[in-house]
Amino acid sequence: MSTFSTMQLDALRELANIGSGTAGTALSQMLGRSVDISVPNALVLPLAEAVEAVGPPEQAVTGVAIPLAGDMDAVVLLVFPVEDAGSLAAMLGVEPGTEDALSALSEIGNILSASYIGSLGAMTGLELDLTPPQTVTDMLAAIVATVLASRAEGTDTALILDSELRVEGEQCSLSFLLLPEAGGVREILSRMGVEA
Amino acid sequence: MTAAATEIAVRMGEIAVSSNPADVLMSIGLGSCIGLALVDHRRGIAGLAHVMLPEAIAGGGPVGKFADLAVPELIKQVTALGAAKTSLRAVLVGGAQMFALGHSGAMDIGVRNDVEVRAALAKERIPVVAAEVGGSKGRTIRVIPGGSVLSKEAGGAEKELMSTTGAGL
Repeated sequence: MSTFSTMQLDALRELANIGSGTAGTALSQMLGRSVDISVPNALVLPLAEAVEAVGPPEQAVTGVAIPLAGDMDAVVLLVFPVEDAGSLAAMLGVEPGTEDALSALSEIGNILSASYIGSLGAMTGLELDLTPPQTVTDMLAAIVATVLASRAEGTDTALILDSELRVEGEQCSLSFLLLPEAGGVREILSRMGVEA
Repeated sequence: MTAAATEIAVRMGEIAVSSNPADVLMSIGLGSCIGLALVDHRRGIAGLAHVMLPEAIAGGGPVGKFADLAVPELIKQVTALGAAKTSLRAVLVGGAQMFALGHSGAMDIGVRNDVEVRAALAKERIPVVAAEVGGSKGRTIRVIPGGSVLSKEAGGAEKELMSTTGAGL
């Protein structure tokens, strides 16, 4: 199992902290409401344990997946419990559960990811581009496992940078996950000057 | 003596086997992964592998993760419990295409998993009696060593894929 030093994990957590701070500000401006941002986690786990670390496997969620292109191979995944996706849609003035609601969530995913990834790029000097969002509603395990599988070929370890955003006064929270491929993580760390 | 019944979660890359008719082997939320059940219904022995990827690369993780290694390993484990290889029947669940996340030009992982699991089973001459694969929805598989194999799509009803008589449905 590949491992990371405490210093490396601290550096990754700090990146996630700044990234999710920027994303939270963007969400807050869009909704005109306060958004709370949790202290992010940098999880390094055997693949078998990765799904449960994100949430209950059977939970119905809407996931917005945004693969990155450029200097680092990674996927951004936003996970909304379906009720929370519904309240976010309502706040944006679209009918929850409709095609319009899904495209509104895709657009939210796009904007939040652009903020997060933009700050990550600014800090590390990596050229990072977003590809179009792909949005589905399904079991949490199916969504997270499918994203992990797409980058899991040469590793038995998952690295997940996990931040929670919560809209104050509403039942509306989301997990913002960055799932880098193993080589991508090494690239970030070396750019930050935190080698093993 | 029969051991107490348990629900056994088979997570990504894991394999589990049982000869207790009251056990339930299950993989919740298979997306592009495949839940491969091997059942010897006459002897009441079954196993489940949660396959993530089609082909192993060196140092890539546990054997259950890759179709080409998981199939022989699962056969080894169910026959070690007393199953007869010639009586084994396979049921496949999963292999959905939920997202297009692959690198351009690459075939979808769900499809490749299905192809490789079937190829590995054919090599071992084990028939596939039922399958609930493809599409775009996540699924949960439950395997009861007494003989039944059940699949449930996200938001759908549970479907029986193999009955207690060992026949595919």
